[in-house]
Amino acid sequence: MSTITPTRRPTRRRVQARERREWLTAYLFVLPATLVIAVFGLFPIAYSVYMSLHRWRIRKGDFIGLSNYTSTFGDWWGAAAFFGGLLLILVAHWLWTDAFRGDRQGAPTYAKALGALTLLGAGVAIALGWGLMMEAGNRVYLNGLVRTVYYGFGSVPIQIALALVLATLLFQKIRGQQLFRMLYFLPYVTPAVAGAAIFRNIFSPREERLANQVLGWVGIEPQRWLFETRPVSQLLFGGLFPDASFTGFWAGPSLALVVVILFGIWTYTGYNAVIFLAGLGNIAPELYDAAAIDGADKRQQFRFITVPLLAPVTFYLTVLGFIGTFQAFTHLYVMRSGATRDAVDTASIVIFDTFYRRNDFSMAAAQSVILFVIILILTLMQNRFFGRRALGG
Amino acid sequence: MADTTARERRTAEAAAVEAQAAPRTARRTREPFELRLAHLPIYFLLIVGALVSVTPFFYMLSTSLMTLGETINRVPLPASPQWSNYQVAWSEANFALYFRNSVIITALVILGVLVTCTLAAYAFARIRFPGREAIFMVLLATLMIPGTVTFIPNLLMVRGQIVPWGSWMNTLPALTVPFMATAFIIFLLRQFFVSIPNELYDAAVIDGAGHLRFLTAVVVPMSKPVLMTATLLTFVTSWNEFLWPLLVTTTPQWRPLGVGLYTFLSEAGPETHLLMAGTVITVLPVLVVYFFTQKQFTEGIATSGLKG
Repeated sequence: MSTITPTRRPTRRRVQARERREWLTAYLFVLPATLVIAVFGLFPIAYSVYMSLHRWRIRKGDFIGLSNYTSTFGDWWGAAAFFGGLLLILVAHWLWTDAFRGDRQGAPTYAKALGALTLLGAGVAIALGWGLMMEAGNRVYLNGLVRTVYYGFGSVPIQIALALVLATLLFQKIRGQQLFRMLYFLPYVTPAVAGAAIFRNIFSPREERLANQVLGWVGIEPQRWLFETRPVSQLLFGGLFPDASFTGFWAGPSLALVVVILFGIWTYTGYNAVIFLAGLGNIAPELYDAAAIDGADKRQQFRFITVPLLAPVTFYLTVLGFIGTFQAFTHLYVMRSGATRDAVDTASIVIFDTFYRRNDFSMAAAQSVILFVIILILTLMQNRFFGRRALGG
Repeated sequence: MADTTARERRTAEAAAVEAQAAPRTARRTREPFELRLAHLPIYFLLIVGALVSVTPFFYMLSTSLMTLGETINRVPLPASPQWSNYQVAWSEANFALYFRNSVIITALVILGVLVTCTLAAYAFARIRFPGREAIFMVLLATLMIPGTVTFIPNLLMVRGQIVPWGSWMNTLPALTVPFMATAFIIFLLRQFFVSIPNELYDAAVIDGAGHLRFLTAVVVPMSKPVLMTATLLTFVTSWNEFLWPLLVTTTPQWRPLGVGLYTFLSEAGPETHLLMAGTVITVLPVLVVYFFTQKQFTEGIATSGLKG
């Protein structure tokens, strides 16, 4: 220690020795946390890939290559079209915004037309690819993915929109802001098992339970809620079009899955609102004053100041929301029962079943790797759509 | 990952603005209250929102105090609260054991997270070393990895089928060690440690202190609020953990409350009142902690959320 007194200029070798000691300290500090995260967070991904390439029912068997993936997708051309279509969406967005941007004028018309065409192509590729996969692939898993998509796209946008409204309202000069904020946040801290247990009771098919009572007040017949496996569209319009068939993707989620979506909204809206509220606090009030002087009304201020300046927060919440719904497990697991059949079995539930009930470890690993890749692509997309605007301010 | 620096810059800006924003909100709430007609619709909407978020809790509480007969009839409130329901649920479902387990598991996880993440966050924030950015980025990337992707290899590992260290099933380490470090907490603490002025460290070095001394004697006492936030966040995630304890506890010995409640759910059947009493027992500790720390809690989450 005495060598480091500021009066004596340290020689090069001493500096190096000191630096090395610093490095050693740093590595020792970082080691425990890195070890835990590497062993239980990173290594499993590589090992999942490894497992998915072997026959593995409880014990490890022979190397079987990609056959787990083949039987999941059913048709490699379908899978290629599907994932290619997802990537094409990114290309379309790039064409629309950046590809031909020479100056600040934005993309020329033909670039936008090209972008729109690519988007159309992406849609066709996804639909065709999905059709091919559904014909020959693992329907249980693929249907699980569809339910995951319903759940994510059904709940995240609503969570975020409602949260933005609540946060804007809370940000006004009102009394009891603290109290409201606390109440909105309650569902988020509640253990998911407990929340799901409560929802299971409220949305039970029995007539005396809360959900059916509320329906009774407005004169609607009691519903089967979590036991209802038919799609909502059929429940709503089945009486009008008795001959129509309500199947396939566009028939929408089952009522049971809608209850799960409601649970997602109930849990995360308050959390999102609290974060939006903090984001609103970060916007300088001078901006609103300046806009008001320029004659912008409240709605314009919201559209041109609040929304763009909250874009980073929105991005963060969307990414978090989608990762959350794609890996959601606990409440789905608790809310499902024999009568629910497979109505709320999202991809993660299917993975769990493949692993736990059917003991097909390698197939479950393959399914989880596919889910991971989909989450990666989704995050990339969100980064592309929102992240850009977020950085642009 | 390419826009890291931009994101970090944004974070720094956000932190700076936040510092200014705090007194502004305070000033705003201290203004004399006046009920304006224009605010009525706002209150109306806010109250509707609050009702929606609180109703399930109300339902849980009132049902937990009913008799079996009352749960079948359409009554919103019990005629006379049946406090004995809690006693019955508590003893019937072994909640005493599950409760103790949850407390021990959560306490150990919090301790582990605080130690490992404080050390790591300090190194990432204040020491220059080769590979610092790379390691930090890799750790952050794990935030995107869903638990459904990692649980299969992790379970095999805990069963001793990957590394021959014997089976950890139904033991305390299996329930705690995998959670003893998270990238999110490291990130949260690092943000704070970066803001500590260098002069303090220089002074400590002159006094003969090394990094560890500086960390324990200066940095930790200065960081109490952010460490408190880390504790609370870890408490809630650990208390609410479900999938992993479900997999690694095949006997009740170390089974935590959440999994205990789940097994009770399938056993209690139509006895809704007992079921809801069990649910209250599971939820109550979190709610109590939340009520007493809610300001710090929500603000901690809000700022950490913004920093994501």
